[in-house]
Amino acid sequence: MKAITLVLAILLVVAACAYLLLAHPWWFPVGVSAHSASVDHQFSVAFWLLGCLFVAGHVLLATSLLRSHGKARHPSGDWRLELFWTLAIAAVFFGFNIAGIRLWSQMKFQQPEAGAIQVEVTGAQFKWYFRYAGPDGALGRTDAQRYARPNEGNPLGIDPGDPAGQDDIISNALVLPVGRDVDLTLRSQDVIHSLFIPAMRFKQDAVPGMNIHAHFRPIQTGTYEISCAELCGLGHYRMRAEVRVLTQQDFKYWLKYQELPK
Amino acid sequence: MEERSFIVTAAPVPGFLRRYVFSADHKIIGLQYFFLSLAAVLIGTFLSLLMRIHLVWPNISLPFFGQIKPENYLAYLTMHGTLMVFFVLSTVPQSGFGNYFLPLQLGVSEMAFPKLNAAGFWTTFLAFLVLIAAFVVPGGASGAGWTQYPPLSALASAGPGQALGTDLWLVSIGLFCCASVMGAINFITTTLKLRAPGMDLMRMPLTCWTWFVTAVLTLLAFSVLLAAVLLLLLDRNAGTDFFLPAGLIVSGAAVRNGGGSPLLWQHLFWFFGHPEVYIAILPGMGVTSHLLSVFSRKPVFGYRAMVGAIVAIGFLGFLVWGHHMFVSGMNPYAAFAFSTLTTAIAIPSAIKTFNWLATLWGGRIRFTTPLLFSVGFVSLFITGGLTGPLLAQPALDIYLHDTYFVVAHFHLIMAMAGLFAVFAATHFWFPKMFGRMMNERLGASHFWITFLGAYAIFAPMHLLGIAGHPRRYSELSGVQYVAAMAPLQKFITVAAIVTISGQVIFLVNFFWSMFKGPAAPDNPWECTTLEWTLPSPSPQQGFGEQDPVVNHGPYEYRGPGLEKDYVMQNAPSP
Amino acid sequence: MPTISHVTERKPTLGDGGGPGKTPRRRGYGGDDGDHGQPEEFLPGQRRLRRYRVGVAVFSMCVTILFAGLASAYIVRQQMGGLWDSDHGTLVSNWRPLTLPYRQLWINSLLLIASSLTLELARRGQLKKAEFAAMGILAPRLQRELPWLGITLLLACGFLAGQLLVWSNLRHQGVYLSGSPSGSFFYLLTGLHAVHLAGGMVVLLYALMGGSMKRKFESQRIAVDATGWYWHFMAVLWFCIFALLHFGKG
Ligand code: HEA
Ligand code: HEA
Ligand code: CUA
Ligand SMILES: [Cu+2]
Repeated sequence: MKAITLVLAILLVVAACAYLLLAHPWWFPVGVSAHSASVDHQFSVAFWLLGCLFVAGHVLLATSLLRSHGKARHPSGDWRLELFWTLAIAAVFFGFNIAGIRLWSQMKFQQPEAGAIQVEVTGAQFKWYFRYAGPDGALGRTDAQRYARPNEGNPLGIDPGDPAGQDDIISNALVLPVGRDVDLTLRSQDVIHSLFIPAMRFKQDAVPGMNIHAHFRPIQTGTYEISCAELCGLGHYRMRAEVRVLTQQDFKYWLKYQELPK
Repeated sequence: MEERSFIVTAAPVPGFLRRYVFSADHKIIGLQYFFLSLAAVLIGTFLSLLMRIHLVWPNISLPFFGQIKPENYLAYLTMHGTLMVFFVLSTVPQSGFGNYFLPLQLGVSEMAFPKLNAAGFWTTFLAFLVLIAAFVVPGGASGAGWTQYPPLSALASAGPGQALGTDLWLVSIGLFCCASVMGAINFITTTLKLRAPGMDLMRMPLTCWTWFVTAVLTLLAFSVLLAAVLLLLLDRNAGTDFFLPAGLIVSGAAVRNGGGSPLLWQHLFWFFGHPEVYIAILPGMGVTSHLLSVFSRKPVFGYRAMVGAIVAIGFLGFLVWGHHMFVSGMNPYAAFAFSTLTTAIAIPSAIKTFNWLATLWGGRIRFTTPLLFSVGFVSLFITGGLTGPLLAQPALDIYLHDTYFVVAHFHLIMAMAGLFAVFAATHFWFPKMFGRMMNERLGASHFWITFLGAYAIFAPMHLLGIAGHPRRYSELSGVQYVAAMAPLQKFITVAAIVTISGQVIFLVNFFWSMFKGPAAPDNPWECTTLEWTLPSPSPQQGFGEQDPVVNHGPYEYRGPGLEKDYVMQNAPSP
Repeated sequence: MPTISHVTERKPTLGDGGGPGKTPRRRGYGGDDGDHGQPEEFLPGQRRLRRYRVGVAVFSMCVTILFAGLASAYIVRQQMGGLWDSDHGTLVSNWRPLTLPYRQLWINSLLLIASSLTLELARRGQLKKAEFAAMGILAPRLQRELPWLGITLLLACGFLAGQLLVWSNLRHQGVYLSGSPSGSFFYLLTGLHAVHLAGGMVVLLYALMGGSMKRKFESQRIAVDATGWYWHFMAVLWFCIFALLHFGKG
């Protein structure tokens, strides 16, 4: 009696999980960066591979509960069987691992194209700032401790004495042209934050005291949300910003006037 | 037989305080740890209830609590994680059941260093009080999560709870480290030096193997955490700059110029943290292996492979910490090594899973409550474990890191599987600890609710994570795509309320059986290991003057059709 | 009364399932010490002693890891981190190389080695006495003379005093716990080592007094023996720290 109930409970759980994941009322947002397709592909490989193992494991569990009769063939072990499944699962996992490693090297070890858009991203409790070099193509020096005045339009502490900083653009949104690499430099003024752009399949911590580079390429225009993915204090949940991916012309216009063409 | 309640002892005993409070008897200490964990798990579960309620009904006003504020959420989150990881899953499976049953299963009547053992418990108790005290200090408990990443945790000005609350957290964990090390020294020495005659290492029950390996992990991992905690305490209170980087302005004010490295903390913490999660689960694995064998009346399948897997997990556990840091800014080349080593550690875990299934296969299964929970453990371990190799891929972890996907992973494999092993062990050893049997009907209904509830709460969290819901969000309203997930969050909360209410069945069963349950025979489960040669409840003197002599392996269950289908470990040799 | 239930003697029809169903290979204790052939009274004490030795070994492992953790932090902190130089956009190390008071440090080291030697003499003396006592030549009484223990304690006090001198020397150089990380690590490593050594001294003192011990002779012997091994470990640890501070100055 309990055996049947237990088997039914296990099967119910498997069916419910399978339904939930296959119907998936919530899922990835559509990927809009150059590497999203391969990431999504790798995820679906993982999904089917591990999903099959999940179902197989539970079916085996349920079967072994039903086949309860006390006639086991190798009750206390069988090293050939042991060897077989060790090698089999190792082959599966390491195969999967190698595919993942390949993907990782594609994502991390290809340099951004020459002339990639340079954006400096700064996290501060609880806001994101995006800084672009102005027409001079150089970012001004910053010293947050000395010059940062969030209320006077200088939240990043750009050195007023540095001419390179006069024309820097500071934006609340990450504005990008479509189809070009963007090279982000992530920094933080206070605690660790993490720039998370689900639609770009992108996440990188911004660590105070470090300048971390990361790059990606948006391939579709539109507006996408940014959230903060590293606990940074009280306002962690509302440390939100947007990515605006524009056409090349619109982006040029924006760089000039910091607004979109009408 | 009826006389034998755990409260009534026949022999003349020292006073109540000596016997039950400041005792150096490993059985009493085991029970003390058990009840300490019970208190911790109740608080931790209650906090999770408050968290769940606040997440989906942020404006609701609760009786006695009023409205839960966002900073309370973070404090509850931190305390929930800390209580559950340290004071529940590092305490009850290892220090609780381990203290009680390691010596008995090895056939000896005491631990190697009984006084050190008692000191360990009282230090743990003190650590617990210090941690709980954080709730009532100004600013409240720490809100930096159980991982306490600096600079958030290094600066009092970084948020509410980052003042005294965080100092108390650090002191508490420092004490806990010392206590754990004391316990570990005891476990290791006992296992190496105090076994009964004939109890070869390869004749130890798998429970003892896991307690032993866990003790080794505890020893090494907690020493590193102690070092890290000391450094962070100095950063906070002595003006050093181990973790505090230069040039910070927090809450509008410049912070002294440090030049330290926040990543250093993460390396130290996870060098501890990853072995720690295996500390939390290894004893549960041992219990599961043991019980599956007992209740399918079959030897453990592949005992040697199991021992090998335990040792391999313990060893590899120290080489994978970087998989928590794929997006931390760590050198991307390191991700290669960590990803591959993490894949490697999944293999011994899979071997254990296969062996559990093979142990059940073709057994004559007795569907008792402990078996139900052990089967539940296997199911949860498979489900929670399979997301591990996925997270171990840096390319995928970039997206899933610090989302609810991770929360789902570790609640299934650690929280739920871990607690299922604790439930199984409680039902299984209850007769030996308290001399009475727990109620099977209540036990089974508790199992159904908790098994289905665990999946109902934590399986949907995978979806949240896949949709990009970051963890540690005290409210859903701040980000639009997160707000859109409110219906699923509501479902999870309802499931949590039901599941947590279902735990009342367990508590009723537990306390009712302790006093009113039917008296237990000496060996109610027809088990072979040495603790069952003792009367129930186990007498204060343990085996008394005479150590048992071990002639048999721990899992000699024979085929059907015999009048007695098992051989006690101390039965005369054939 | 806990009786041991002997069940049927039928041969197991199923295999081992962990642990062979054969007779044990050896009939000693599971944690066999190999004390065969020793006089009976010598055994229990010897077994207890072995147990404490394992305990000390395990504890030393734990202390090693504690210091290894700090040492790795030392190395990492030296490589990473530093102050942000906004003019050049680089990190500038704020690791200030220390000028160590080598003379004092070497004197301390010698004191520590000497104490290790004297404690070893005490330990061996006790071992001999225990054997004599087991043979009935010597009464198993608490040993009060123990010159070597007293000398060890004095030398240890000398070492700690020497460390105080080292610290005050550094303070005069303007090196404090806060400030440069090199100073922080110096005080931390040497301070923690001193604390651990002081712990050993407490046990030695306890052994010297021995008043509250139950089985006095045996317990004293165990305390001296265990502390002896711990002490040697402390000396080795000290030289590791010294080497780290010397070679990793900056
Ligand atoms: C008990 C605790 C426990 C255990 C055992 C594990 C086991 C594993 N964990 Fe998990 N993990 C945690 C607790 C645990 N974890 C916690 C607490 C965190 C988060 C910490 C925090 O950030 O707060 C975490 C986070 C975490 C991360 C970081 C995620 C992130 O933050 O981005 C990663 C990444 O690699 C990971 C990987 C793994 C892997 C590969 C395993 C493997 O060991 C899993 C091995 C198991 C299996 C592979 C299943 C075996 C079954 C089969 C193979 C099926 C059999 C099939 C048939 C029979 C057909 N874990
Ligand atoms: C052992 C570990 C453990 C356990 C049991 C639980 C149990 C639960 N957890 Fe927890 N959780 C963590 C460990 C655990 N958790 C950790 C480490 C974190 C991360 C913290 C951080 O981010 O810093 C976390 C975070 C966390 C979050 C993430 C919040 C966020 O990121 O914003 C949520 C959200 O829903 C949550 C919910 C729950 C719920 C609903 C339960 C439940 O209450 C489920 C139902 C409860 C039970 C089925 C068991 C009850 C048992 C008993 C009553 C008696 C047992 C007694 C004995 C025999 C001793 N937990
Ligand atoms: Cu910024 Cu979280
Ligand atoms: Cu891990």
